[in-house]
Amino acid sequence: MMIECREITKEFGFPPQRVLHGLSFKIETGEFVSISGRSGSGKSTLLYIISTLDLPTQGKVFIDGIDISQMGQREVHEFRNRQVGFIFQFHYLLPELTALENVLLPARNLQKDVEKTAEAMRLLEHMGIVDQAHKLPSQMSGGQQQRVAIARALILSPKYIFADEPTGNLDTQNAAVVMHILQKVNQENGTTVCLVTHEPQFAAMAHREIYLIDGHIADRSADQ
Amino acid sequence: MARKKQTFLILLGISFGTLLFVSISGLQLGMRQYIMEQLLNNTAHVLISGAENDILVEDITDIFYQDRNVLWTVPPGGKRAEVRLENYQAWVERLQNDPDVLDFSPRLNSNVLLSNGEFSQSVGITGIIPERYERVSKIKKFMREGSFNDLKGGGNRIILGSGVAQRLGTRLDRFISVNAGRGLSQPFKVVGIVHFGNRQIDDSLAFAHLTNVQTLNRSPGRVTAITVALTDIDRAPDVANRWEAQSSDKVEDWQEANKMFMEMIRFQDITRYFITGAILIVAAFGVYNVLTIMINQKRREIAILRAIGYGPQRILELILYQGLILGIGGGLAGLLMGFLLCLWIGSIDMGFEIGGSNNLLISYDPSIYVIAFISANLASLVASYLPAREASLMTPMDIIRSE
Repeated sequence: MMIECREITKEFGFPPQRVLHGLSFKIETGEFVSISGRSGSGKSTLLYIISTLDLPTQGKVFIDGIDISQMGQREVHEFRNRQVGFIFQFHYLLPELTALENVLLPARNLQKDVEKTAEAMRLLEHMGIVDQAHKLPSQMSGGQQQRVAIARALILSPKYIFADEPTGNLDTQNAAVVMHILQKVNQENGTTVCLVTHEPQFAAMAHREIYLIDGHIADRSADQ
Repeated sequence: MARKKQTFLILLGISFGTLLFVSISGLQLGMRQYIMEQLLNNTAHVLISGAENDILVEDITDIFYQDRNVLWTVPPGGKRAEVRLENYQAWVERLQNDPDVLDFSPRLNSNVLLSNGEFSQSVGITGIIPERYERVSKIKKFMREGSFNDLKGGGNRIILGSGVAQRLGTRLDRFISVNAGRGLSQPFKVVGIVHFGNRQIDDSLAFAHLTNVQTLNRSPGRVTAITVALTDIDRAPDVANRWEAQSSDKVEDWQEANKMFMEMIRFQDITRYFITGAILIVAAFGVYNVLTIMINQKRREIAILRAIGYGPQRILELILYQGLILGIGGGLAGLLMGFLLCLWIGSIDMGFEIGGSNNLLISYDPSIYVIAFISANLASLVASYLPAREASLMTPMDIIRSE
């Protein structure tokens, strides 16, 4: 399992404004990679492209040797559902559903929600919020909500976790808890984690850092 | 809270549309069933009667002056004096062998004068064979006093319309005089009083055995009409057309005989569907608005669902499901409220009699409730489709970028 980017370029708007400039790199299976850089450097855009949420203007992304631009709609949905877990800055929980039901959402798409209930409870326990299982998101703190979102990302034991500034809305203590969980998932399950962050201390927790300056891969020390 | 209020208002809109459909349909179909019952009492499914042929100049010329050129000073005209079936026996054979026929009953209609002491009343008397007539009509259901079976023995017995009995000042087991204008009056024993709930009919109708009426008219063996009940009432126009083509007698199906009423009923149906259609369209717009607002409020949730692998089809299904829930909830509440409203309307004393009671006639036909429920759900589904489709076409990136 490997993600490979070849000459990724992304442009927006008209006249086209180039956000990513021919990026090439590989993410090995089981790696914990951080994508960091200043605001507007193109780190979230890069994450969306390698996670199949978006397509590059030029260049190709290969996942396990398969060109994702050649995958059909159904294949992409299936890939995202079974092999990818997303964590966003805003947790995006469904407000009408309890924590447990939110965690089971990906399983529900496969009609596996009943058989995954025990696993969901185990994950909530692992996150230290099992007592919140039957509460609505509005009855939980921001940190607890983000942990529900992480449990939702892990419910189908994905091979990849893509996290877009998951600590962006959290206080220092909750941010540390979230980072600790991501590290643990990577170490214990061998899940490939790709984390977008602008916090140097969180970026440093990864095996490797991809640092962006204006859409180019660069060395952090060059960004003065 | 605001969304709960919106959802409640939409449920109310759908319920209101369903309620109106159920109550308007209940009222109209109740009245329609009553009218049709009355019409069928008079005509049955098909009525075969002697043709009231005009006397034509050509026919008279042919009979008296074949092959000669005749110039009439006063041309012959008018109608044949007597209406009778051309060949009753041939009809009996045909009807007995026709698979569309359930049963049939011959009858002789005549005008007679009924007298009870100083009171007299002109009525149309129908001579029937009771054993056959009860199989092609619902007369037994309308007997107010006495028994229809008492006519079966013959022997100058008569059943009177309730208004006729009242005007003559007579009652059950009393004797009245009957005169057909062809000889002396004959005494008839009143063995029953029938009440159809239609004053015009109840004030001018009487029944007696066919042979008694034939005797009164001094026309033994004469039959003026045959009342036919079919196995399928809806085939009446086709069957009547087929028979009419094969005979010189007049064959009329119940719809043709009551064309004006049938057109009125059709107009009522159109009005009913138009009104309820308009209400359901308004309710459907409500569903459309609520779901459109809901989808705008739930863009983030739709984005995450799409991101975790819910395809466009699945999103479409989820939104349609919400619309269907609104339709089912609103529909069921509307059915219940409509049913209760019908019960209440049906219990109001109108102060005048219609169909044997002072209450409005309400139909509780299950088809009304089935159509109302299906319509409510269809309206909700159609109204949900556009916002659902719009939501299904959103990509996660469209939403994330617009956040």
